[in-house]
Parts: sequence; structure tokens; C-alpha cells
Amino acid sequence: MTAPRAFTVRGVVAFLAAFLGCLAPAPVGGVVGLEDSIVRRLVAHGPWPVAAARDPSNAVSGTPAAIALGHRLFFDPRLSVNGAIACATCHVPSRGWTDGRARAVGLTDVDRNTPTILDVALQRWFSWDGKSDSLWSQSLKPIVDPREMGASGEHVAKLVASDAALACLHAKAFGPPSTEPDRALVHAGKALAAFMETVRSGRAPFDDFRDALARGDRAAAARYPAAALRGARLFVKSDCHVCHVGPAFTNGEFHDVGVPFALAGGRVDGGRFEGVKRVRADRFNLLSAWNDDRTGAAAVKTRHVEATHASFGQFKTPSLRNLVHTAPYMHDGRYATLREVVKHYSELDMERIHTHGEQLLRPLRLSSAEIDDLVAFLESLTDPAPPRMPPPADAVGACARRPLRP
Amino acid sequence: MGAAGALVLAGLALVVAAPPRPGVAAEKCAPPSGFAPRGRLEAGGVVVLYRTLPPDIVLGRHFAVEALVCGEGAAPALTRVDATMPEHRHGMNYRPTLASKGDGRYLAEGLMFHMPGRWELSFDVENGGRRTRLATDLNVE
Repeated sequence: MTAPRAFTVRGVVAFLAAFLGCLAPAPVGGVVGLEDSIVRRLVAHGPWPVAAARDPSNAVSGTPAAIALGHRLFFDPRLSVNGAIACATCHVPSRGWTDGRARAVGLTDVDRNTPTILDVALQRWFSWDGKSDSLWSQSLKPIVDPREMGASGEHVAKLVASDAALACLHAKAFGPPSTEPDRALVHAGKALAAFMETVRSGRAPFDDFRDALARGDRAAAARYPAAALRGARLFVKSDCHVCHVGPAFTNGEFHDVGVPFALAGGRVDGGRFEGVKRVRADRFNLLSAWNDDRTGAAAVKTRHVEATHASFGQFKTPSLRNLVHTAPYMHDGRYATLREVVKHYSELDMERIHTHGEQLLRPLRLSSAEIDDLVAFLESLTDPAPPRMPPPADAVGACARRPLRP
Repeated sequence: MGAAGALVLAGLALVVAAPPRPGVAAEKCAPPSGFAPRGRLEAGGVVVLYRTLPPDIVLGRHFAVEALVCGEGAAPALTRVDATMPEHRHGMNYRPTLASKGDGRYLAEGLMFHMPGRWELSFDVENGGRRTRLATDLNVE
């Protein structure tokens, strides 16, 4: 008698489920061949764009005068000691705000790939090792790094005071140009940051697909390319979304994904392990008096960040947006194509990932077709026409004419 | 009513009629006014009531944990609050700072969950020379 009773109970449950299912609209995911759990994960990667909040550690964040000053400084090679290297030399707008090189070249060779500044305002830590805890403190580092622009606070102070356009914009943003080297440097960093916060990418094909899933628009969801759709499913199934999480496709933290960290000359790149030491020792960090946030909230991360032995060889999880414009890839630019990047995860060298590496990682063992699908998905995360923002012209006149107070 | 249904009702009656008998620590451990615990942990004669600030933990955002610690015998002391992802075999990238607020209350600041999934939040309590670890699972999406 037990079997019929069980059958009856199961039957009732099945009937109820089917009945309730009829009442609910068919999930869009089912229509495009995705499980509901995958749809939920994909919807969590939006909406895009997200509003970027003002940086509370930078009092001039979001102010027109500082943005204008930063815009001008960004393209000004006179910031460098030899007058030949601007921020835009490596962060080239027409190249996705990076330089297309494997590793950056300033006054001399640099060990790491130039990261894009597209959507940089959304980041928590800055540079591949997170050696800076604010965009403004990161912005002043290349100016004084002897490998990059090789200048100094004195150099920046003199430049800003001696140039009518820069001095005018500085006066509107901060007051009269400072002769104090550290202050001049910090002001330059804060103005550069205010400008870079405005460099935001627009919507990508994925965003239309994601929004269609979110609002249950089957017709719009069906317009997403089939290969990208298969890649999206693989992306979630392979747990890529665990680190590349949220609308910006990054958790903003650091992981060892098996990319070698040996450098030329027998040196090693300690990645986050060194980054934590550097941010703690940085005299311009958020624990310093240069932080404009008086609530203490912005500095919580700096106060509590910790390096462990596992931090060695970790590098920041990059955003996956706009990858089509930002080749080559990884912290040392070792991969020229997205296909190579996906193959890296397909064939992960578990011997290389030391015992403290990210345990989530396993070789994906993808077929060639699956690699193509993942690449198609990644390419669909790219804004086809990101902003280029050419250098401003007639800065003196513009500063004099325009009301640049917020 | 089937046998399964009867069992469920019987179980419910048991829970309502005879809740687990609280120990001395549990009896002492009442949350003060304004302290709405998110969870209650008890082990080895120690009770920890805790809440998170803000109440909802958001992936990638720092949060704090306020705890009220009670126990039998000598006054128990909370010595460490930490969190790990057991499946990933790693912890947080941040070390919380812990401050005593008096009367068995503590505030741990600087926690952050940087990956979605199951996190194990743990409390180390020293009580009469003995250390007890109390832990609970928190799922973050």
C-alpha cells in the first residue's frame, strides 16, 4: 500500500507544480536555453552603466574645475621630467585608454601591462598590486616614478604656477597654485582623478541581453548571438562569475590565477604581497592627512587590509568590460588575444598555482568550440565606441570665460 | 492524515512544548535594548549573540559585527572575529579590529566578503583559560 500512497502524494505535488507553473510566465532563460540559475547570475551583472559616486577622499571629485584641470594635465607631457611623456602616452584614448604594449614603456621599461582607465572610478584598489588606495594617490605615482615620468612635486608646482591655463584652472579648483611640493603633487593627483572618473564606458551588447532577461523580454533576449549565449552559460557554469562578479565583472580584489611572476634579471613580482606593504607605507594613503574624508569610512579598507603568504603572486581581478580594446592581457601582458586568455584557464597549470592559490581554480578543459564561445561572450562585454575625450583646446580662454565652480 | 503528516505535527508539538533547556550562560545572555541579534551561537558554556552592521551584508562592502558574549564561570572574553570560505580554503583579505565596549559587548570592524558563496563567520572566546570557537554560516550573493 505504501507505493500507491507515495505515488499519490507525488502525483499531487507534480500536479500542483504543473498548475502553478501554468500560472507563471515562462522564464525567458528557458526560451533562450538558459537555466533559471544561470539567468539569475547573468542578471546580476547589471544594470550598466552604474552610477559612480563621488570619491569622498577627494574633495574636488566631480567638480568641473578639477575635471578640466585634470583633463589638461592628463594630456600634458610637461608633467614628465623630460617633457616627452604624458599620462596619455600610455593611457591612449584611441587604444581603449591603454597602449597596446605587453608592458608599459615610460622613461624606461616597466614590468607590467598598462591597465585601462575606462571605468577606473569603480575600483577599490589601484594598479595591478593595489599599491594605491585611492585614484588620486595612484595618479601622482607615475609622475614621480623614475621609470615612468621621473618628475617631482617641485617640478609639478613649477609647471602649474608657470602655465596660465593650468594656474587658472588650479585657482578655480583648489585656490592659488601651491609652491609646496607634496601639496602640488596631491592637487595634481586629485585633479587627474577627477578627470579619470569621467572616463566611463557605455553599454555593450551583453547589457541589452541582460536587460532583456531582467524584464522578461524574450524577443530582445533572442537577438543575443548564439555563440555569446553559449559562452555566457559556460562563464557561469565555470564559476568565472565568482571573481568576475557584478556589473563591472570584477570583485576588485586579488587572486593567483597561475600567471608566472618571474621577471627579467632573476627578479620576482610579488604582486599583492608587495602591494599591501606599499599601500601601508604610502605617505599619500587614506590614513594620511591628505584624505579629505573626515568620516573615516573611506580609510576602513586601508586600516584593515592584510597581506598573507597567500598574497604573493596575486594580482587584481581586472574588469572584463571593453577587452576588445585593451589587448594584450594579464598583469604582464603575456597574452595577445582573448583566445589565449581563455586557453590559459582551460589548461591551468595546477603545479604553478602554489598551495595557497585560489582553490576554486581547476583547468576548464574546454573544446576549441567552447573557447570560441567564451571569447564571443567576452567580446560582447565591450562598448563598441568608448569615449575618447581629446585634449581640451584654448584652456586659458575657457578657464577665464566659463564658470567652473560646481 | 498520513503517517508523514502525523510525524511532522508531532515534531512541531515537541519543539513548542519542550524547547532545549538553556544553560546558565544562555539564561544570562539577553540582548540589551536596541540590540537585535542576527544569530545566537552556543558551545562549551559560552553564548555569543551577534549582529552585523549594516544588517545586510553586501558583497564587496565592508561591514562590522557587534557581539554580546556570555558564559558560565569567569567573564568570557571575545578575542577574535574572523571569516573564511571553507570551500575555497581562504579567508578575507582584511583583518578585523576588535574592541571591547564593556558589559560583554564587542565591536569587530573591517570585515569584507569579496566573493559570493558560503562564508563561515567565527568567534573565538577565552573563558577561564579555555578557548571556544563558535561559528556560523553566512551566504552572500
